[in-house]
Amino acid sequence: MSDRPPAAGPAFAIDPEKCTECERCMGACALVKTRVVRLADACITIQRRWPEVPGIHVCRFKNCAGQPCIPACPVEAIASRDGYVLIDREACTGCGACLEECPYQAIRLDGEERAFKCDFCGGRPACVPECATFALAVAGKGAEPGREAGGRP
Amino acid sequence: MSGSMWNSLLRIDLSARRARARPVPDELAVYLGGMGYGVKLLADEVPPRTDPLSPENKLILTVGPLTGTLAPMHPQSCIVTKSPLTDGILNCYAGGFLGAELKFAGLDGIVLEGRSPDWTLLLVEDGQVSFHDAAPLLGKGTAETEAWMKKRFGPEVRTLSIGPAGEKGVAFAGIFSETRTFGRGGAGAVLGSKRVKGLAVRGSLGVGTVHPEEFARLVAENMEQLRRACAEEYNLVGMFSRVGTGAGMGLVNGRGGLATRYHEYGQFEKFAEIDGFAYARKFYTRAVACYGCPVHCGMLHKFRQADGSEGWLRGPEYETMYSLGSEVGNGDPVTLAEANRLCEEYGMDTLTAGVTVAWALEMGEKGLAREPGLSLRFGDREAILGLLARIGRREGIGDLLARGPLRAARELGGLDIAMQIKNSGFAAWMPRRMKGTALAFATSNRGACHKRAPIGAEITGQIDMNAYEGKAALVKGIQDRVNAIFTLVSCRFHEFVTPPELYPRFVQAATGRSMGLPDFDRLGERIWNLEKLYNLGSGLTRADDALPERCFQPIKGPASEGAVIDRAKFEAMLDEYYAVRGWDRDGVPTAGRLRELGLERYAALGRPGAGGSAGGLAR
Repeated sequence: MSDRPPAAGPAFAIDPEKCTECERCMGACALVKTRVVRLADACITIQRRWPEVPGIHVCRFKNCAGQPCIPACPVEAIASRDGYVLIDREACTGCGACLEECPYQAIRLDGEERAFKCDFCGGRPACVPECATFALAVAGKGAEPGREAGGRP
Repeated sequence: MSGSMWNSLLRIDLSARRARARPVPDELAVYLGGMGYGVKLLADEVPPRTDPLSPENKLILTVGPLTGTLAPMHPQSCIVTKSPLTDGILNCYAGGFLGAELKFAGLDGIVLEGRSPDWTLLLVEDGQVSFHDAAPLLGKGTAETEAWMKKRFGPEVRTLSIGPAGEKGVAFAGIFSETRTFGRGGAGAVLGSKRVKGLAVRGSLGVGTVHPEEFARLVAENMEQLRRACAEEYNLVGMFSRVGTGAGMGLVNGRGGLATRYHEYGQFEKFAEIDGFAYARKFYTRAVACYGCPVHCGMLHKFRQADGSEGWLRGPEYETMYSLGSEVGNGDPVTLAEANRLCEEYGMDTLTAGVTVAWALEMGEKGLAREPGLSLRFGDREAILGLLARIGRREGIGDLLARGPLRAARELGGLDIAMQIKNSGFAAWMPRRMKGTALAFATSNRGACHKRAPIGAEITGQIDMNAYEGKAALVKGIQDRVNAIFTLVSCRFHEFVTPPELYPRFVQAATGRSMGLPDFDRLGERIWNLEKLYNLGSGLTRADDALPERCFQPIKGPASEGAVIDRAKFEAMLDEYYAVRGWDRDGVPTAGRLRELGLERYAALGRPGAGGSAGGLAR
């Protein structure tokens, strides 16, 4: 969908103040992951705090301090390669330990009780070009930088 | 599932508290969805002489082939029912997230039938219905009702609800969905008559399309068009994305076409205090969007309220800036926003509510109406807010105003000034200033409505706003096209930017149904004729395709150039319009045109008075 070059390493620039809560990012994520628009499958979630600014729940990758999901996994199903924090779905036992440790509420369990989260679409996140207000951008790629570096959960 | 549609309508029999999903027959599927489904179902199942507030009326909530997909600007859902305001057929729309959620619940629509024995809340989860006691919520506002449903059923449900006005049958009560509104025509009163206080929907299914690659290309193309529009300084949709729908008030005012003090004047001296730019300048503003929409024309503002406290208020839409602003002589943005919120709490259409209040204010200034405790004068804050509350509660003069401007004027006098068509209060535009818009208002199947009018072309001077010539065919074309896009269900603003050729391509990619633009427009025309037959059958006539008397007096104020409607020219334009439509001089579709449209079996629908009582507006 996007002609953007891949990011040097995975990192979102996120500014919830700019989010209009349209959920287009969620729809685009679900579509690319499952071929249908099923919002429950989206790896990014907009949490409403109407009328206050919403929460944006998605993995921060490089911007996540300590990446606590990795040591939390008892079966070592989560690992980081070049900042790409990824879950090995086959190894996952669905214990939910990573869900509790994630400071961004970015990991959930799917219908088969396996943990899933954003994988940055391998470098070109499908959600980013859909965001009309740049609440969501790829960090350091010419996008307007978000005011939230580490992210507010 | 056929692409993006589920081929499933949920029928809820409220009297029996029973629900069943039914497949969509082929003869309905050709209407695509949205308004097309609603109009066809109502025409087939609810005779035009039905009392709109009786159990025999139905309320049909539908979505379309693009709902729930990533096609931008398709968040809306459509309600079709028989209107208690006009007594004709009604179609109305609300954005937000309800439409997508209905689609995620595996439904193309919900048909509410009968009347619940007790006040009820409906919960629809993936097509399964449960009934819940609504007694604790009676008399509560729409925001409280919505909050209650989210607490009870889960924060992720999407809802619609009515307020006290809908419970009490206010003829212009709306249905509210998370600050988006099915505003016009009294759908809230119909829901109230069925003793349904609210509906919550939760869906867990995924929406696909028949041709996903082509669909994704169209989405990308359309998104690019919208992005460009939003980046242009003087693009209307771009202005909407920056400050909301109230962006255009200065332009309209400058052209002497901003209806002011009950349409006496065409300019409001305080417009710059209440337009979209004023709100953006005066208050902290946060833009909020409907599902999947890059335009985000909704605005939330942080206010210092009249009592000194700070709170969030939904910014008024353009039409409300007129109806509770210029039309009632109110130049205070806080009063306007509070009036807007009062309408939301009671659950009323801000348009007809405001215009009806304006009528009462003028009647008060002329000494023809009074209300204890209120000083009925233009611009009087207490009078504006007080009248709205009285309408919502049906107290005092509010009980009379709640019947709609035509019925109120028949009771109290002042019919000559009542700015209504088919008992529906005027939308924010001045027929005297814009002659095509005059025709569109007069011939609208839902009365005094701006949704299918050449407003943009006339107000910007793209075409001569004063000319009568050529407007008949123009208006017909807009009516047909907009009806067609409302089958999808597109936001009305989508078509401001999107090339029309995209619509049939979207339909084909989503559903596999092949059609060209002429077929698409022809579908809109077919729906328009079906609506017209329904209205004729309900007792409406050519005399109801008329403008109020005030339109034949010049607008006051220099910028409006004494604009007026010439009675003979207007009637000639109406004749021409009927001819272009293939209708006779009384506005009855000819057998030949009905045959061309495949509607011959509906000819009898348009014959009034087969047994029943007098037509509703005469009632």
